[in-house]
Amino acid sequence: MPRILAPVPLARRNLLADRRRLLRALAGIAFAVLLMMVELGFRTAFIGSMLLPIQQLDGDLMLLSSTKYEFDRKAPFPRRLFYEARAVPGIASVRPLYLERKTAVWKNPQTLELFGIQVFGFDPDQPVFLLPEVAANLEALRQPDTVMIDRRARSNMGYASAGLRTELSRRNIQVVGTFRLGPNFFSDGTVIMSDRNFFKFFGNYSASPSDLSDITDLPDVEVGVIKVSPGRRIPDVQRALRAALPASVTVLTKAQLIDQERRFHLQVSPVGPIFDVGTLVGFAVGMLICYQILFSELSDQLSQYATLKAMGYYNSYLVKVVLEQAVLYALLAYLVAWAACYVIFRVVGELALIPLRMSIGLTVTSVVLALTMCIVAALIAVRRVLATDPAELF
Amino acid sequence: MPTGIVHIEDRPVVRVDAVNHYYGEGQARNQVLYKNSIEIGAGQLVIMTGPSGSGKTTLLSLIGALRSVQEGTIQILDRDLTGLATHDLVTVRRNLGFIFQAHNLFDSLSAYENVRMAMQVGGFAPDEMRERGMRMLERLGIEHRADYKPRLLSGGQRQRVAVARALVNRPRLVLADEPTASLDKESSNKVVNLLKELTTDEGCTVIMVTHDNRILDLADRIVNMVDGNIVSDVVLRDALIICEFLKGIELFKQLTPSELANVAERMKKRRYRGGDIVIHQGDAGEDFFLIAGGTAAVTGEQPGEPTRQIATLGAGQVFGEMALLSDEPRVATVRAIEDLETYSLGKKDFREAVALSVGFKDQIRQTYFDRYSALRSR
Repeated sequence: MPRILAPVPLARRNLLADRRRLLRALAGIAFAVLLMMVELGFRTAFIGSMLLPIQQLDGDLMLLSSTKYEFDRKAPFPRRLFYEARAVPGIASVRPLYLERKTAVWKNPQTLELFGIQVFGFDPDQPVFLLPEVAANLEALRQPDTVMIDRRARSNMGYASAGLRTELSRRNIQVVGTFRLGPNFFSDGTVIMSDRNFFKFFGNYSASPSDLSDITDLPDVEVGVIKVSPGRRIPDVQRALRAALPASVTVLTKAQLIDQERRFHLQVSPVGPIFDVGTLVGFAVGMLICYQILFSELSDQLSQYATLKAMGYYNSYLVKVVLEQAVLYALLAYLVAWAACYVIFRVVGELALIPLRMSIGLTVTSVVLALTMCIVAALIAVRRVLATDPAELF
Repeated sequence: MPTGIVHIEDRPVVRVDAVNHYYGEGQARNQVLYKNSIEIGAGQLVIMTGPSGSGKTTLLSLIGALRSVQEGTIQILDRDLTGLATHDLVTVRRNLGFIFQAHNLFDSLSAYENVRMAMQVGGFAPDEMRERGMRMLERLGIEHRADYKPRLLSGGQRQRVAVARALVNRPRLVLADEPTASLDKESSNKVVNLLKELTTDEGCTVIMVTHDNRILDLADRIVNMVDGNIVSDVVLRDALIICEFLKGIELFKQLTPSELANVAERMKKRRYRGGDIVIHQGDAGEDFFLIAGGTAAVTGEQPGEPTRQIATLGAGQVFGEMALLSDEPRVATVRAIEDLETYSLGKKDFREAVALSVGFKDQIRQTYFDRYSALRSR
């Protein structure tokens, strides 16, 4: 017999005593953990997809309408303020970005079906995107009725490549290139075009204006993408802009805009809380499953635990054993759930083209939730053991 | 000078004094123990008997610090359990060994690991645990099953593992509830012999609830409870000694073995050091004495005369009976010459014993008359 010098690992022994029961328990708990991980993964992917365009903007500060609480929502501010911003000291450039989503319709070049799409317009002479493909195609975008399309757009948008002709909002366009961005939960894809073409398509102009100075009533600006002069501190310039401009516009750093967008979707939009509820349901289901498993096991061993109490074991030891068992359940179930979730994310992420990833944040959050779920269940279940009276053994 | 200086034989391992116990609260409160008192010394194998609901398991659980003492006092191993908090009761239990009717072994642990669970609260070094655990399993004849899980053991083997678990820490007090109920004859003998060895070799005290007649032969003492009261408490070794002495005395020869046992049952052991006065002339008589060992001097005093030694009494002789029968003061003083061991019978019990046999009473009177005559003639 091997020498056993460490204390008897009662929790581990109890866990492994009945392999079938262990498998059933792990399946139940892992299912709940998987549910939470999927909800958390979709929540993260949802937020991540909504942030993709902002992350690709090449600016230190963003000038926006104060009423623009969601980046995807159209809320332009007066062009006059855009010009006023340019006059503020410390500004290297303020470049306009235009957005259309509601009226933009893309015709699938293969199936000829129509789908809603997100469209950004910008001045090719003042590029605002970090996307290298866009930077490489500025000249092509200056041509009338040309666009670039996201090659990670959902498949229902059809296969698009340079040279393809189709329709955008019932007008003929030619695709001059693609870029890699990805859809979000509200839009199947993104189109980028020059401001001139944008005005023609969505600004009620009959043709692409060749010179913007010819236009006296240029449309309002959706976002002013600002670069701060070298050597100037971004917070100082931000304060100066806020002081110079009326309260109808707001000036945010890129990080602040990302944070505002994230908070909106997490707290205000109905979508974020839905995932939270889903996670909560997974937590509750998991806790119930874990509680039921532990309660059943402890009930089968009440006289054994009562004997331990009679032998001189304190309640703290009994709690420790049950908690240890719960933690082992949580960790083993987590490994199973992690593996299953990894496969699901790979498959669903590719199919839905959303950024579903087993990030470190998701890994840490879900393991903490799994542990908490099992520990809380154990703390409730252990009351049964604590209530046992060793005197009843006689 | 005070008389009747009592020296109880040793510091008792268990001392129960006027213990009442109740279950339930309010109107549902039900008394299950009534002013029970008992002292149990080291090295005794005590069997508690009584019908179901007599309170024996309640008393056992109180002695085992498994319940809080409500009224009265209980001391075990020099520790007063009265008023102890739950945490302290648990600490006290670490010095005890419990054997329950069911083995209550963890199915997930091997036989050795189940025993080791007990040693973990015994404060032993890991290396010592292994040796000690295996030795205990060996004493119970199941060392070859040390690695087996309980489900692979027979019922008897499981119970022997439970016994090993209870005894492995060498507790000074073992409380057992029907420990042989699920054992075959061979296993039962092993367990009972081990328990007996512990009492004789190591001075361990064992209190056991059992209906197994095979164990009665080995018991030192039988405590019988009825309706929450200890109705008899017989120290068998003492009772046998007393009966042997009593039947050798002319006065008691007419008593049947049953009547002798009834008398013996009520007698209490007392020890005196040399020079101690057992009874004093002129005091009221409260007890009848039988000398189990040692010698005592009987002296008488007459007004204006020096104290005279009337007799020297030794093992098997009795004194103190006259004052109980006549309700007159003691007519002589009895002093221990050397360490003296006596069995005493209270006045009420003595008179009841006398009432058992008219012949007995007459002979006592005759004896008393003879002694008086001897006293007067000197």
